[in-house]
Amino acid sequence: MPESPVPAPAPVRFLLGSAPVALADADPTLTLLEYLRETAGRKGTKEGCAEGDCGACTVAVGEPDGDRMRWRAMNACILFVGALHGRQVLTVEDLPAPDGSLHPVQQAMVENHASQCGFCTPGFVMSLFALYRQGRRVGRRGIGDALAGNLCRCTGYGPILAAAEAMWETPGRDDHIARQAEAARTALEEMAAEPLVGLARDGRRFLAPRTADQLAALLLEHPDAVVLSGGTDVGLWVTKQLRQLPTIVHTGRVAELARIEDGPDALIIGAAVRLSEAATAIGALYPDFGEVFRRYGSAQVRNAGTLCGNVANGSPIGDSPPGLIALGAEMTLRRGDTRRRIPVEAFFIDYGKQDRQPSEFVESITVPKPRPGWLFRMFKLSKRFDQDISAVCGAFHLEVADGTVRSARVAYGGMAATPRRALRAEAALVGRPWSEPTVRAAMAAMAEDFAPITDMRASAWYRQEAAANLLLKVYLDSRDGGAPSSVLDCEAA
Amino acid sequence: MTTGGIGMAVARRDGPAKVTGAARYVADTPLRGALHAVVVPATRPKGRIAAIDTAAAAAAPGVVHILTHANAPRLGRVSVVLAEDSLPPLQDDRVRYEGQPVALVVAESAGQAAEAARLVRVSYHEEPFATDFDAGLDRAEPVATFFGQPLDTAWGDFDAAWAAAEVRVETSLATSDRHHNPIEPMGVFASWADGALLVEASTQGVSELREALAQALGLDEARIRVRSPFLGGGFGAKGWGLPHQLLAAMATRVLGRPVRLVLSRAQSYTEHGYQPATRQTVRLAARADGTLTGLAHDVVAAGAFVGDYIEAAGWDTAPLYATPSLRVRHRRVRLDRLSPSAMRSPFGGVGIPAVEIAMDALAHALDMDPLALRLRNYAEVEPGTGRPFSARRLRECYEEGARRFGWADRPRAPRSLRDGGLLVGQGMATAILRAFRFPAAARVAIDRNGHVHVETGSHDVGQGLSTILPQIVADALGVPVDRMSLGIGDTALPRTTFTGGSSTTMSVGSAVQAAARALREKLADAGANGPEGYAGALGALSVDRLAADGAYAPEGDEAAGPALFSYGAVFAEVAVDPDLPVPRVRRVVGVYDAGRILNPVTARSQMTGGIVWGIGQALLERSETDSRLGRFLSKNLSGYLVPVNADVGEIDVAFIEGDDPHASPLGARGIGELGGIGIAAAIANAVFHATGVRVREFPIRPEHLL
Repeated sequence: MPESPVPAPAPVRFLLGSAPVALADADPTLTLLEYLRETAGRKGTKEGCAEGDCGACTVAVGEPDGDRMRWRAMNACILFVGALHGRQVLTVEDLPAPDGSLHPVQQAMVENHASQCGFCTPGFVMSLFALYRQGRRVGRRGIGDALAGNLCRCTGYGPILAAAEAMWETPGRDDHIARQAEAARTALEEMAAEPLVGLARDGRRFLAPRTADQLAALLLEHPDAVVLSGGTDVGLWVTKQLRQLPTIVHTGRVAELARIEDGPDALIIGAAVRLSEAATAIGALYPDFGEVFRRYGSAQVRNAGTLCGNVANGSPIGDSPPGLIALGAEMTLRRGDTRRRIPVEAFFIDYGKQDRQPSEFVESITVPKPRPGWLFRMFKLSKRFDQDISAVCGAFHLEVADGTVRSARVAYGGMAATPRRALRAEAALVGRPWSEPTVRAAMAAMAEDFAPITDMRASAWYRQEAAANLLLKVYLDSRDGGAPSSVLDCEAA
Repeated sequence: MTTGGIGMAVARRDGPAKVTGAARYVADTPLRGALHAVVVPATRPKGRIAAIDTAAAAAAPGVVHILTHANAPRLGRVSVVLAEDSLPPLQDDRVRYEGQPVALVVAESAGQAAEAARLVRVSYHEEPFATDFDAGLDRAEPVATFFGQPLDTAWGDFDAAWAAAEVRVETSLATSDRHHNPIEPMGVFASWADGALLVEASTQGVSELREALAQALGLDEARIRVRSPFLGGGFGAKGWGLPHQLLAAMATRVLGRPVRLVLSRAQSYTEHGYQPATRQTVRLAARADGTLTGLAHDVVAAGAFVGDYIEAAGWDTAPLYATPSLRVRHRRVRLDRLSPSAMRSPFGGVGIPAVEIAMDALAHALDMDPLALRLRNYAEVEPGTGRPFSARRLRECYEEGARRFGWADRPRAPRSLRDGGLLVGQGMATAILRAFRFPAAARVAIDRNGHVHVETGSHDVGQGLSTILPQIVADALGVPVDRMSLGIGDTALPRTTFTGGSSTTMSVGSAVQAAARALREKLADAGANGPEGYAGALGALSVDRLAADGAYAPEGDEAAGPALFSYGAVFAEVAVDPDLPVPRVRRVVGVYDAGRILNPVTARSQMTGGIVWGIGQALLERSETDSRLGRFLSKNLSGYLVPVNADVGEIDVAFIEGDDPHASPLGARGIGELGGIGIAAAIANAVFHATGVRVREFPIRPEHLL
């Protein structure tokens, strides 16, 4: 047997507060929440749902960001400790100053009566801490977005939003956080140099390489390995389905995959790029896509999950594929040293079946930049504003010149077993005047494109009607010259 | 320095503990060598257990013991109010509902117990089952009594009024099964030592749980202590005598080691009850000027073969409006599911929306302003009985609510308000909440340093009890709240009733007030002429500490006194995209009359939380049943949608304050559930105003508006 091109893994190391933690003999699917509560004795972080829905387990995960530290809110319940190498974890226990005085976020929560039963409170505190430490004040909408992944059943949210608005002006001690940050950054940068880290127990492994070549080699070596990016879906395999995963190979440490390459015609988004970063980059080019990302999962989910992972996992209801397909995005798959590039739509073969071979991983997704004369619109339709699986997600990419539709790419999620284009509707648009009769004809043709199912989120009939009406909305908005970009964007008057 | 007495906006006293993670909930208790238990739930809704193979589970690492019906100790029958509906677990081979515990795996760690629980193999002799509510409507049966009282109400001749009416309106409302979903899943920690049982549980009723444990285990109550530490929300879910609580107690008694059992989110859907679905019809007979001549409210509620819970949706219909004839009837369809139970704003919270939607339909039929219709039928005395209302300020609620909302500017016609491409609608509804009061006891003590300790067995479920009790004592003794400590949630403390029915402020608050006043009397008798003299009084008595007891009990014959209710007027505005009609709540104004307000901050929080409860009811919350498998379909927080912050528009809450001396010595009435009543109807009526489509189902399905 040829010798493995990758070295033996070193222990996974991270900082818990300012204390270094090293783990080697641990269950590869040990979650941060279990570790915090059972091993570290930090009971302030709560388990409310164990699947990243409620946010009671929110912690701040810090990484060096240039010459400073950047903390992001994440759900500890579906975050494997193996993914923490080179990162710092701050929990609600870390926020008070050494003299016990409260952090401004905590003080603002107390002063605004933002805690009732208190069980969700540590999670809210940590989401707000991440926002506070972002260094840039945001308004009510930004606060709401930062807290979309935290459920509260008592307060009705108002007092928590008020606390968030007040926290930047609330006295309290934050200097101890700043003071430890420099030491933390130094320690984390030293950890980052480790070539391969991992956990192992009972023949099961968690492996986190540092380079893409190592990643490719490890996957060749372990064709049965689960490729883990953010773990916001794989985490549920463990916490909900209680599945045992033999080998996990994590993309999160691979710096070259964590980049967004800003090319002349396209963005190339690497496998380890978080949804939150992809959302910013794509949203800057396509505001509607940004608006869908805004309501996509929650801040915690977007801070952990990746764009490539969202596509690679093949869900029929993921919200990025319709937009990517409509834009004509392509994905690069790599196996060993072999790469191939396919359109995103070709990746989805059938329900639960994707065009990915064993040992192959999604290396990047290439998103074309806007072209003159093209119109892009995208809508997510769900009952709950945030954190809700779409009943229908529709994306529309149209080239209109001289009043005529020259090209059309229309794609939907929630309408079939995979995210798919509405080819008949597209055909009914192309070559015809961009007019209501054309759009009505395309809406009628769309009935032949899809045979959606009825489930608890929506009936088949509603899906058909709403999908068609989205196209009409695209037309009416374009005619009226700009309307609300979100179908659910009905803010208080 | 202020004392922080009644009526002051005292900050929540448990705030610092909660924002630092220091507040300890059941799952946070230090372990001290405890074992961990995991319930194995039945996967079939009905039948008999053919066999349970525990061999693989027993051989799994860390497993200490596995209890099944074959080896579990026999338990006594539990007959405690609202606990009767959960049968003692592991007593026979019968499966009565999906999720019923069929085994308990006890292991050294929680992970080992969970892992081994997967290895327990259960086979069933399955039996035909019925879990489809609508399919069972034709076998709905009348329900005569409710907590021992007649449930249905009638006066006058409704049929004649209906036949003779100048205007008739009939509307229906289907409501869905809903689960409480407190953010903290329930847990219990039980230890058995020296013949005594100590139980720490996330329960809203320590005394009732002790009673249930005593009955089940055949123990003297004196040998059982139950504590409820911080509680991560309850909303009615966190009852007593629930299967997992009895199982943990059983296991610790069998094994002699402490046992912890924490439910998973999914298990929460079948370990405690839920608000059952209803199918309701309301008929209104009226004269052309809007004067009601008859009101009929028919309720069919989903029930279970296990237990007798009935969602008494029509219970608070009678006091709503003056009408010469009324008929409220309840029927129930028993299903092969676990028993439903009370959930925040039960009964009227489920039924008043049906009546208030009908009132909106009547106003529309008459081309009358919906608020004017309510005022036309305003009840000056309790309809049916003629009893006076105690301190009813509902008219003021309507007026203030309308003013704050800007109701007078509302155009009457549906689909007449627009904002860009969006349809905008405005609706309103009435809220009414019966005053429940229960016996309670308390003790207040003071020491020579002027430190006051307040004790009562009741619980802080997040409503703010631990903040308002010191305020009540501060008012009576003149001692500032920051000189006080508080003991609650413990059967070792003076006994109270469970926390529910918006009863606690009136009941426990009054007991605490009585204890504080008794202490003041004692101090005065010993020469204290105000707080400055307290230390001297203790000196004169030669004691370091002086305590006094207080108690509260509702008067014997409540029917002889005035009718006691809290009230509210709720106004809502929604926006709907006509082509993709997902309704969104823009703003809500709720104005309430709940007697004297002890703390405006905690009171407002309660109402705001209740309003969001109603937003969930109207737009999002539904526990879907898979009738083929006889189980709830989405036992998680991604399938069961509770509102997120973006689903909540601007909420404006105000109170029309004033004493209600009949409701409680404090002058306060219940508020906890008031906010959750009426709001769903206000939203539904706003949706009608926006779209012209009458809402017939909660949660509202966007497709019905298309």
